[in-house]
Amino acid sequence: MKDNNSRRLAVDIGGLVLKNPVMTASGTFGYGEEYAAYIDLSVLGAIVVKGLSITPREGNPPSRIMETASGMLNAVGLENVGVRAFIDEKLPFLREVDVPVIANILGDTVEEYCEVAHILSEAEGIHALEVNISCPNVAQGGIDFGVNPELAFKVTEGVKNATDLPVIVKLTPNVTDITEIAKSVEDAGADAISLINTLTGLSIDIEKRIPHLKNITGGLSGPAIKPVALRMVWEVVRAVSVPVIGVGGIMKAGDALEFLVAGARAVQVGTANFVNPRSTVEIIKGIAAYMERKGIDDIKDLIGTLKT
Amino acid sequence: MADPEKSIATGIIISNREIFKDHFLMILRVPADFRASVPGQFVMLRREEGDHPFLGRPFSIHSLYSMNGETVMEILYRISGMGTALIARLTADDRVTILGPLGRGFDVPVGKKKIVLVAGGMGIAPLFYLAEYCLEERRGELGETVLYFGAQSSHHLFGLDRLERLCSSLKLSTDDGTFGYHGPVTDLVAGDALSFERNDSTLFACGPYGMIKEMARIAEKFSIPCQVSVEEKMACGIGACLGCAVRASGENTSKRFMRVCKEGPVFDTREIDWNWREG
Ligand SMILES: Cc1cc2nc3c(=O)[nH]c(=O)nc-3n(C[C@H](O)[C@H](O)[C@H](O)COP(=O)(O)OP(=O)(O)OC[C@H]3O[C@@H](n4cnc5c(N)ncnc54)[C@H](O)[C@@H]3O)c2cc1C
Ligand SMILES: Cc1cc2nc3c(=O)[nH]c(=O)nc-3n(C[C@H](O)[C@H](O)[C@H](O)COP(=O)(O)O)c2cc1C
Ligand code: FES
Repeated sequence: MKDNNSRRLAVDIGGLVLKNPVMTASGTFGYGEEYAAYIDLSVLGAIVVKGLSITPREGNPPSRIMETASGMLNAVGLENVGVRAFIDEKLPFLREVDVPVIANILGDTVEEYCEVAHILSEAEGIHALEVNISCPNVAQGGIDFGVNPELAFKVTEGVKNATDLPVIVKLTPNVTDITEIAKSVEDAGADAISLINTLTGLSIDIEKRIPHLKNITGGLSGPAIKPVALRMVWEVVRAVSVPVIGVGGIMKAGDALEFLVAGARAVQVGTANFVNPRSTVEIIKGIAAYMERKGIDDIKDLIGTLKT
Repeated sequence: MADPEKSIATGIIISNREIFKDHFLMILRVPADFRASVPGQFVMLRREEGDHPFLGRPFSIHSLYSMNGETVMEILYRISGMGTALIARLTADDRVTILGPLGRGFDVPVGKKKIVLVAGGMGIAPLFYLAEYCLEERRGELGETVLYFGAQSSHHLFGLDRLERLCSSLKLSTDDGTFGYHGPVTDLVAGDALSFERNDSTLFACGPYGMIKEMARIAEKFSIPCQVSVEEKMACGIGACLGCAVRASGENTSKRFMRVCKEGPVFDTREIDWNWREG
């Protein structure tokens, strides 16, 4: 991963330069420290931390997790320590690691998103914000910000005004036309777009005729969603000009390469961390090995090279 | 900090035998430098071959010892779904990936305290290891170890000869009355609780949720400290996914959560809000 390799793998995401295109996906990597016993965190392109809200959130009652065919459903419910506890208790550890930290943020209202964004911008050691717009907008009867182009625009615009950090907007796949939302957040000033968040799903215990998850529905992640994620990334890449970050079902280097070829400038690895805590490191090595084998000197010569 | 390269171990199966219907004992060879564990800690276990099950499954360490210069781990488990059914099909020389030992184990007090173990069904898995630990590692330091063991039916009360060696007395119960007391094991404990010295006894319990919740009630009623091993569905086992949260007890802590895999799986019964979860 050292010297010449690191140069060839570097990518630029809205002004933030990453030493390689592999980051962790929010909610699957805790606040980083949980994985320090398993990998050298400084080899990662970036760490995206668990979504942060203005006050701590309790999350949903159990069961919160159910394995499904080649994936899992989760209804953790955006449980988090809150932005201030994150800065006081979790960020000091991450500041000591030579890795860009991206804070994933969430809220019930545009104002809440902006407040969290503002607080994080004042803190030392945050390199970018990722806005999770797959959250219900309390002021608008609970409709998700991410399914409505106007709401997505407003929250993006608000966060952009509240911070000087690069702003990545993370899209939900639970929409009819993802390109419409993507264009809307680009117009609102997003520096980059990441996708996809989890797909809403349901799993039923037929013996008891109850849902497996207490919350009834949950978010599907893992290999099961990869083809959907890849299709959506490919569509969005052609609809916008800001960098796109591919997320969804990336388990191995080959999966990450599919996203890069489809046009993603970087990728995030989520559920794979649960299966194998060393997944990210193995994926970075695998990408470098592929480039070696194919004689590709710079990863930029690989991104968006899908032949159709 | 642990060496990242060594933090994930490969286990090689020596045997994986059905003890009685749907209940298995897996004996594994693990690397010589597999970290020492405390009874009550668990491992995330996953078949090395294939993608099913997809996530690892948590199992308590049933025993960990060295034999002929090799480190051996035992897992006692029951088939309770797709994942465990696939694990049950593994045979000698098959390989599994192991994360662990994980979590916080039992905290055995210092001094001549009476150790009261209470097992419901598969709950015997970590308590067997705890009994071994009390007898072998803490020999002569502790008071007597007694075991209350309840199960569905007589043939579910297995390993009694080994347990008899480890404990000074065994009190047994079955749900169907085929052996010992006819009824829940917690009845036996509640009946004897007055005779436990409050300051000189510690309860250690593991079993189904209803049973450990009842143990929390008994512990409170008789003011005897009680440590329980809690189960919750897990995805990562290392504190990252928040899938395994339990709510902490106490005023003004409604937003405080504990992760079974990290702050647990062993908790003092007073640490948990027992009303958060149903069942
Ligand atoms: C810390 C810890 C230690 C454990 N130790 C042991 C042990 O020593 N021996 C043993 O037999 N089992 C143990 N379990 C339970 C074991 O992990 C589950 O039985 C197993 O994960 C079920 O997987 P499955 O794919 O077969 O079932 P699934 O198809 O996932 O589910 C089948 C049933 O099992 C239940 N279940 C699933 N996962 C869990 C879980 N993590 N905990 C409790 N119930 C679950 C489900 O609610 C469902 O009713 C332990 C669990 C934890 C959290
Ligand atoms: C347990 C869990 C928690 C998650 N929490 C968040 C979160 O807080 N914010 C967010 O934007 N995405 C969250 N996600 C979504 C992931 O970041 C990712 O978009 C999704 O899981 C798809 O990628 P994967 O298939 O690689 O896991 C979560 C996913 C899981 C499985
Ligand atoms: S199992 Fe993931 S946090 Fe406990």
